[in-house]
Amino acid sequence: MKKKTGLISEQMSAQRKRLVLLGGMSLALGAAIVGQAALLAESVEKIFVQRASFSSVAVILGILLAVMAARTLLSYGNGRIGLRMAASAKTDMRAALLRKLTRASMPAALRGQTGGKVSVALDAVDEADSYFSQYMPRMMEAAVIPILILVVVFTQHMNSGFIMLVTAPFIPIFMILVGLKTKNKSEEKFAQLAEFSGTFLDSLQGLVSLKLFGRARQHEQEIERSSIGYRDATMDILRIAFTNTFMLESIVMLGIGIVALELALQLLIFKSLSFHTAFLILLLAPEFYSLLKNTGTAFHSGRTSMGAIGKVEEMLAGTRDEGAVNPRREDGGITDGISGADRMITANKPGSDDMSLTRMPPIIELRDVRFRYAPDSFELAVGNISFGPGKHIAIVGKSGSGKTTLMHLIAGLLKPSSGEVLVNGTPLMHYDEDSWFGHVSYITQHPYIFAGTFADNIAIGAGRAVSRDDVVQAAAAAGLAAVASELEHGYDTLVGEGGRGLSGGEKQRLALARAFLKRPAVILFDEPTVGLDLQTERVLQQSIALLASKATMITVAHRLYTIRNADNIMFMGDGTLLGCGRHEELLDCLPEYAEMVDAHRKGGFA
Amino acid sequence: MNELAILTKAMIQERKDIAMAIIGGFIAGIAGVSLFSLSGYLISKTVFAPPLYTLIVLTSLVKILGLLRAASRYAERLYAHRATFSLLSRLRTSFFAKLIPLTPGILGKKRSGELLARIVGDVESLQHYFLRVAYPPIIVVMVFLATVLYTSAFSIWIACLFVVGMLAAAFVVPGLVLLGLRKVHGRVRRQRTVFSTEVTELLYGFRDLKVYGQLNKREEQLQHASSALSEEQQASAVHLLRGQSLHAFVMYLISWGVLVLGAYLIMNGSFAGVFLAMLVMTSLTVFEEAAPMATLPAYKQDSEHAAKRLAETVLAADVQAPQPTAILSGNQAVSLELCGVSFQYEDEWRPALRDVSLHFPAGSKTAIVGPSGSGKTTIIELLLKLRASTSGQIRINDVSIDQLDDASIWQASNVVMQYSHFFRGTIRDNLLLGEERYTDQALSAILDKAQLTNKSLDDAVYEKGENLSDGEKQRIALARAMLRKGRLWFLDEPTSSLDYITERLVFRQLLSQARDDTLILICHRLTGLEEMDRIVVMDHGRIMEAGTYAELMEQKGYFYEMKQIELQMVGEQCEV
Repeated sequence: MKKKTGLISEQMSAQRKRLVLLGGMSLALGAAIVGQAALLAESVEKIFVQRASFSSVAVILGILLAVMAARTLLSYGNGRIGLRMAASAKTDMRAALLRKLTRASMPAALRGQTGGKVSVALDAVDEADSYFSQYMPRMMEAAVIPILILVVVFTQHMNSGFIMLVTAPFIPIFMILVGLKTKNKSEEKFAQLAEFSGTFLDSLQGLVSLKLFGRARQHEQEIERSSIGYRDATMDILRIAFTNTFMLESIVMLGIGIVALELALQLLIFKSLSFHTAFLILLLAPEFYSLLKNTGTAFHSGRTSMGAIGKVEEMLAGTRDEGAVNPRREDGGITDGISGADRMITANKPGSDDMSLTRMPPIIELRDVRFRYAPDSFELAVGNISFGPGKHIAIVGKSGSGKTTLMHLIAGLLKPSSGEVLVNGTPLMHYDEDSWFGHVSYITQHPYIFAGTFADNIAIGAGRAVSRDDVVQAAAAAGLAAVASELEHGYDTLVGEGGRGLSGGEKQRLALARAFLKRPAVILFDEPTVGLDLQTERVLQQSIALLASKATMITVAHRLYTIRNADNIMFMGDGTLLGCGRHEELLDCLPEYAEMVDAHRKGGFA
Repeated sequence: MNELAILTKAMIQERKDIAMAIIGGFIAGIAGVSLFSLSGYLISKTVFAPPLYTLIVLTSLVKILGLLRAASRYAERLYAHRATFSLLSRLRTSFFAKLIPLTPGILGKKRSGELLARIVGDVESLQHYFLRVAYPPIIVVMVFLATVLYTSAFSIWIACLFVVGMLAAAFVVPGLVLLGLRKVHGRVRRQRTVFSTEVTELLYGFRDLKVYGQLNKREEQLQHASSALSEEQQASAVHLLRGQSLHAFVMYLISWGVLVLGAYLIMNGSFAGVFLAMLVMTSLTVFEEAAPMATLPAYKQDSEHAAKRLAETVLAADVQAPQPTAILSGNQAVSLELCGVSFQYEDEWRPALRDVSLHFPAGSKTAIVGPSGSGKTTIIELLLKLRASTSGQIRINDVSIDQLDDASIWQASNVVMQYSHFFRGTIRDNLLLGEERYTDQALSAILDKAQLTNKSLDDAVYEKGENLSDGEKQRIALARAMLRKGRLWFLDEPTSSLDYITERLVFRQLLSQARDDTLILICHRLTGLEEMDRIVVMDHGRIMEAGTYAELMEQKGYFYEMKQIELQMVGEQCEV
């Protein structure tokens, strides 16, 4: 990564104060390092060469101890600043990510990506840590202190200064060489590494199959073979890295050796140097080289971090064209491809229409609604249709025909590319989002159960404080009373992640209970495609009828009785509305419709 | 601890590399210390204007030591990493061997994939135990002891000071850091889990949260969890930093002590001043060599945690009864019987099967139907002895399943699991999982039978069959089962992703091959069940009813009603 990415420079300017502090502390640290060496040299000179009395060196020794303590504290302080920078950078990045996730849009095709997004928010951000906590402080120290040391050495003894100045550039050069060569080699071995490294997990996941086929024991050898293969491939890469490190260390050692030789020659032959100066330089030389060497490790972790930060940036930037990367999915369960800037524009803006003042259940009209996820993806287009208050609409069509997308458009979860959805004559997008959703219940095929109590999970539907009695009543209406009594703490039992698991049928009924508590004026219902247990099927049929008696209901329908009972059927094919009307009407005039409604059942009797 | 026993055993097996690494590290350390000590001595010596040749000898020695140090460091790194990777290989194989009898028993119903990935990760972090935890202290102590021995030739008091320094650097400081880390670490882990769970919830529950107007509240919670996590992580990092600073301060303090003590002894006349600079250099360098001790606590923490988790998941279940000796013969059709069988998954709160009694006569064909989660798959898992029932009796050919050798049951069975596993390789590799050998012709014929005509034997299969569609996977799994010679068929929704016509074709092939065998089929669609001898209907772990298709339809019970709902289904489409 050649230039600093946007996020990093953003962070750097936000944390400028800390950076300045870091620079100042590094300077002080450099002074402490030089001071420590000078005092050490001074005291050895006094004790050894001048044979001074103990009391005369006592002061120097006292100051030395103080400088040593100061050095420790300064480097600790630098570390603390780094950690603090890392902590605020991470919090900021996570905050931005979370804002993105909650505000920007309905994330597209969640199912496939959830793991990846969580890992960006968690692991990638954590990886970014070392850029701030390691790389920045080390680089700052490396930028300030070696120069300070070099200046001191030059003032004391030119020749040593020159030796250090000439050898120093070899260190970064070798660092870069190590990096490049290792990178090339690992790219060369990438396929091999990938193959070997996955085998263990692959074998574990397939263990049941292996057992059933009587191959489990033999597979141990396969694991060993791939592990050894992995070892050898990795060692090939490491050997290059180690060889370069060897060269690097040799240069450092050579540098120190030359400095020492030169000092000895000056002392002995030319007698132009005092012991004090020579010892000082000898103490400073390793400090000088090790600071430069440290940048190598810091540089490496910095690179990894920058990669991680890149991932965070990608996610922060990527939501806009999410629709393009995530193809439309239908009946896919959790959340289908919903994306784009679909947030109601006027949400929370003063003057937006308050839904509670308008008539409920509402009249819903579609005016030449068109939608596509990406410029080159398929287009959904429906003409002008109007649904009266309390009407029941069924959306019917083959999978992939755009049923769920249409429902999301009507629900206001997606914004049409062109055209409008009108609710009581006003464009849906003009309403306040919370106020609109306050009237809507969406019963999906896979309702999400949140980590929390059973009661909380039902109460989430109300959007207001509700009494336990209300919750119990709603649960009973949805046929959940027996389930609640089965749970060890009744309604207070934890369910969802980390709690008690519920069956698919129970989840479906829980969604119904949420709707009972909310008493919505608009019901969006994604009818189950698979047969649930009979109890749920019965509850579903009765409850939906009850809920829908005072509401406008739009159903993505998979059951014939729902379709037959609908006031209006929207028959979709490849994103377009093929026909609209009651069941009998469509049967008469649309052969495709008749075929679809009949096809499956014929198959069943074949 | 048992898991460390595995590690120790593996380390003993890699003793050669380990010994080489230790020798290399030791030489490098000693060379480094000598190098700097010698430079200090060299400079002090010049004060006395020695003859030039001593100087030349000394400076050449310094350079040789420098090279020796770099070279032995190279060797150390090479051997240590080789040993680490070999350890990993040994750990993997031994944990795999331990997991063979435990799978799928240790896997709960939920998130088994996550558990496996965790085991892989934990085994991997265990490998660092050697590189970062076990062997650095050995080298540090060895180098220190050698230094102590060497300095004791000059002054026993200074040598004592080094012993104190060694104890502080190798044991006291890392110990303190570890104590601090242990306190914080649990909290960091907990916060991470909280954050990860909440982000996952936000994403999965997005639509529900949005419709229920809960997004803002959730975001607030998450921001809170996020800053709490950063705080805890910082606290944990501060402990490490404190350890590093403490290490540095011990280094300075001991060097200072050497200086003071040296000054005192020189003035006493019991120590030659020419060695003072040398010993100061020695002290500074020997602590430099001990630098890996600073990061040790973090790795120790990690590997201990990994070891503990592995112990809990893998080794705790390690009490295995010896394999029973009775063998299930694969030459004849098999009868199966469940008597009052109940089963509960460890991580579930309700039993998956409640008091189920079923008899499958030899050569019978039974279909089990019911909503998802009704316990159908569990019956097959129990019959295959993949899990042990919580209560009740299971008999195969009138022999209790407890007395039968697991492998003989599997040998006699042709199984298609709901989610079959596919390995990286070719279609051929994935067909030939068993021990049988077949010609390519026979294999192609089987592919035809399974209606998989668009694939050839050499087509690549990616890890977990990622490049195959669900329908293709099911057909390969069916072909794989049809290649087996067992007389017992367990088919768990084998055709759920196939279209109706393909399903019928495959099934016809299958039934003709299994004509005289016992067959249990779990299916989600209620079509084509007329040919089965019996249909068992399950709900919530109980048998609701059983009978032939005609009987159940006439009875107008649970099955009939399910069938009515299925007939209502419209627009369902499967892969063609």
